[in-house]
Amino acid sequence: MSLTSKEAAESLAQAEQAHKRSAELYHYSRAAPHLIMWGAIWVAGYGGTYLVPNYWQWLWGALIVCGCIGGYFVGQVRPDCKNGAWAWRMTGVMAVAVAFVACTYAIMWPVHGAQYAAYPALLTGAIYAAVGLWVGLRYLVTGALVMALTLAGFFTLHDNTILLWMAFVGGGSMILAGVWFRTV
Amino acid sequence: MEQPDAIIHQPVRLKIMAALKPLPTNDPVEFVRLKALVNATEGNLGAHITTLEEAGYVSVDKDFVAKRPRTRIGLTKQGRRAFQDYLDYLRGIIETAAG
Repeated sequence: MSLTSKEAAESLAQAEQAHKRSAELYHYSRAAPHLIMWGAIWVAGYGGTYLVPNYWQWLWGALIVCGCIGGYFVGQVRPDCKNGAWAWRMTGVMAVAVAFVACTYAIMWPVHGAQYAAYPALLTGAIYAAVGLWVGLRYLVTGALVMALTLAGFFTLHDNTILLWMAFVGGGSMILAGVWFRTV
Repeated sequence: MEQPDAIIHQPVRLKIMAALKPLPTNDPVEFVRLKALVNATEGNLGAHITTLEEAGYVSVDKDFVAKRPRTRIGLTKQGRRAFQDYLDYLRGIIETAAG
């Protein structure tokens, strides 16, 4: 059995397509638990800030620490991440993002409540959308959705209602995206 | 390689090998996930996996998770090498034809 160049090209294209799809889905499956965890943190953080606004710094401080530590352990669950390099990197990415948001608040001061609430979500959406340009459409869709929902809440809701919006619509969409990332 | 590897060359098995290649050796894929990845029926996929396993190209691990049976499939070292040889063979044909 020998192949023509056309048959070889067809087989190669088939193999490359299956390889690309598998690699993309594997990447999604790794990111899914992180999305679900951070979606839950958004629900607790924004929801908690709405209920007890005077303690928001403590609440978010504790949740971010939990998220960074949780991110490490979620990353460790994968058998290929037992050396911890990927898990540490995920924690590092979160630490950089938190530092960046804090620095932005510092140089843009004063910021009002709704800006406080919307900015980290917008940044998160932008990061996902940017990652999507390299990794896959699901990241792009998730990022764009989070950004659009955040802006919709920011420009249409008043007072503290945006906190509830961010908790259930923002956090909820992150959790749903995580579930979507787990599917084939 | 004068001839393509007949075991890998079959379209469904080619898809299986290609789908397993990007996965880390110590993180095999579950049967149900692989079934969706290669768009095959359960029986068809099972038969092709058996062929690949007999050739030593894939490993099949069966265990129970929360009392439910789970089958996971991963590429062996031998399978990874054979698949790479197969891809090189295809590229060789294309390059030769292109001059």
